[in-house]
Amino acid sequence: MTATNQERPRPSWFTRFWAVVRYEMLWNIRKKKFIAIVIAAFVLVTVDLALPAFFNVSKNPAFAATFSVGNLVFFLIALVTVMNSISGEFESGTIVPLLTKPVSRTMVFLAKVFAAFVIILVTYTVLFIYSTVGGIVVYGPQDNLQLVPLALLGNVISTFVWVAIILAIGSISKSSLFAALGGLVLFIAFVFAGSIIASVSNEAGALNYVPGVGATGVLNVAQRSQNITIQNITVSMNSVSTGTDNIGTNLVNYARYPSATVNITRTDVFSTPPKVIQLYTESIGFIVLRSIAVAFAYILVFLFVAWFAFKRAQIFE
Amino acid sequence: MELVIETNNLTKRYGSLTAVNKLNLKVQRGSIHGFLGPNGAGKTTTIKIIVGLLRPDEGTVKVLGHELHGGKNEGFLQSFREHADSRLGIGYMPELPKFPKHLKGSELLDIYGRMYGMTEQQRKEQIPKLIEMVGLTGRENDLIGKYSKGMQQRIGIAQALLNNPELVILDEPSLGLDPVGMVEVRELVKNIAREGVTVFVSSHLLFEVEQVCTDVTIINRGTALASDTLQNVSGLLTGPAMIHVEVTQMSQNIIKAVKSLPFVSNVVQTGNTLVIQVTTHENVRAQVSQAITRAGGIIVDMSQKTSNLEDVFLQLVSKDQEGKPQ
Ligand SMILES: Nc1ncnc2c1ncn2[C@@H]1O[C@H](COP(=O)(O)OP(=O)(O)OP(=O)(O)O)[C@@H](O)[C@H]1O
Ligand SMILES: [Mg+2]
Repeated sequence: MTATNQERPRPSWFTRFWAVVRYEMLWNIRKKKFIAIVIAAFVLVTVDLALPAFFNVSKNPAFAATFSVGNLVFFLIALVTVMNSISGEFESGTIVPLLTKPVSRTMVFLAKVFAAFVIILVTYTVLFIYSTVGGIVVYGPQDNLQLVPLALLGNVISTFVWVAIILAIGSISKSSLFAALGGLVLFIAFVFAGSIIASVSNEAGALNYVPGVGATGVLNVAQRSQNITIQNITVSMNSVSTGTDNIGTNLVNYARYPSATVNITRTDVFSTPPKVIQLYTESIGFIVLRSIAVAFAYILVFLFVAWFAFKRAQIFE
Repeated sequence: MELVIETNNLTKRYGSLTAVNKLNLKVQRGSIHGFLGPNGAGKTTTIKIIVGLLRPDEGTVKVLGHELHGGKNEGFLQSFREHADSRLGIGYMPELPKFPKHLKGSELLDIYGRMYGMTEQQRKEQIPKLIEMVGLTGRENDLIGKYSKGMQQRIGIAQALLNNPELVILDEPSLGLDPVGMVEVRELVKNIAREGVTVFVSSHLLFEVEQVCTDVTIINRGTALASDTLQNVSGLLTGPAMIHVEVTQMSQNIIKAVKSLPFVSNVVQTGNTLVIQVTTHENVRAQVSQAITRAGGIIVDMSQKTSNLEDVFLQLVSKDQEGKPQ
């Protein structure tokens, strides 16, 4: 005899949530695209490790602690992890059997976000172990290794800005192609807008409020290592950027120099020789706090949009 | 009798097209309820509303005692209510189901089982049993992406029975199955119904519905044309039914004996064959054969046109279609 609903045990919220997380993990990890991008990320980290060494092979004990996988990797990892995590279910029709199980849409959505978090965290942990070991090999013994997890955490937050944006586009359009292209267009637009504003306008402060690199400046502390000079432009090793992409690096800067200030500058590339113009000064603590707040604002807003669209979606597929 | 599915004036529009029109569907607990209608009648749309994939434009749905969706005038926040618990007792097989290609058949059932809150022990017992029941033994560890259409259909049936549901909803379960598979599905439906499970099955195959269902709803253009027990719906057919009998040696005795049966209205003889017109749509072949044997006849062939449902269906649908452009 079959059990009726009254006598049927009700599984806990967490049991069902965890089942969806497993579901999400399994098919994400088996995606060929994902494997390809992890390999690509390794290549980029390798280049990151090796390239500066060609210009300046001096010791840099701070390499590991200030390492960041970089904004392109943030975007690409976010893209392959979530570009079809909602829209792909619609496109393939797998949403139909999934949503007719005793799991709520909110549960499914949160499980997908959580799975993305875990996948990104694990991927970055492996990359950071690689960069730390690589840093020791290329740049000699490293200091502040206890700050590496802080840098990693910052990188995950930076990536999640893109995760939220791509999820929102995918959830509204129900199309992985839209999610990928839309995300790419925004990414390129922000990168271009950033570099244009940074070189022609004094309003670099506006960049603090869009996802990306933000404004650039110089950290007012004793020289951390030798400057690099390429074609008359001296790149200070104390250079910092203030945007959501640099939360990891700035968290580490803050941990190392809690009371340091940053002179925000822009480089006027149209004057010869290119001239560095001083704009304003902020404390590193404020910069890191603001970038985290901006990142979380984007993450929350776009995740809410994605959740809302998913929750209201009718399944015509 | 308790109803497991009850819709009230259910209406669903796709733009200007009304796919489901003021449908009142009632499915009794313990029945095998056939949902019959031509292509585009609104079967899948109705089922998708019942399982919560679509929101109705008007009307209400009650499944296993849970009021779904909440009418439009219940307010915006109310429409956000989720009904995950109501699905604990439901098994649903979508029309042409699609499952994640990257999962193996057994993994899929395992993960879905976890969503139902099944323990490891329960999953270990239930999953191999289901895989065997749907004939996928030996292929359960292949990726679903490598399954044929019929195999996907079979894993679809398996996942609909995973949680020992009290209500199983099957949307065209035999679509894409080979003839053996179709027979298997019919047997399977009968077997699960024997255990007290209510089965709601959509189909456009009349013989399928006729062979397994106890109740039937005929739908066309989103409206129910008939909804009752199979017997009563078959009885809607107007006009007499016919029985054909062939004997080795015809005699006046035989004809007289047949004519004297209470339900026989007319008998026409051609050689060794009798065409008997009867006033009932019930199966009376046993009585006819008894009468002929007693009169000394030896029957070599006898047939009663049992596919009355087909006649009812064609009659109702063509009447409904009359004068209206499709
Ligand atoms: N997503 C959709 N958008 C627009 N119209 C749709 C959509 N889905 C179904 N329809 C229309 O609604 C009507 C009912 O379709 P439905 O799929 O419910 O029929 P059905 O009875 O299941 O048919 P079949 O036997 O072919 O499966 C049809 O006219 C169909 O064209
Ligand atoms: Mg259909």
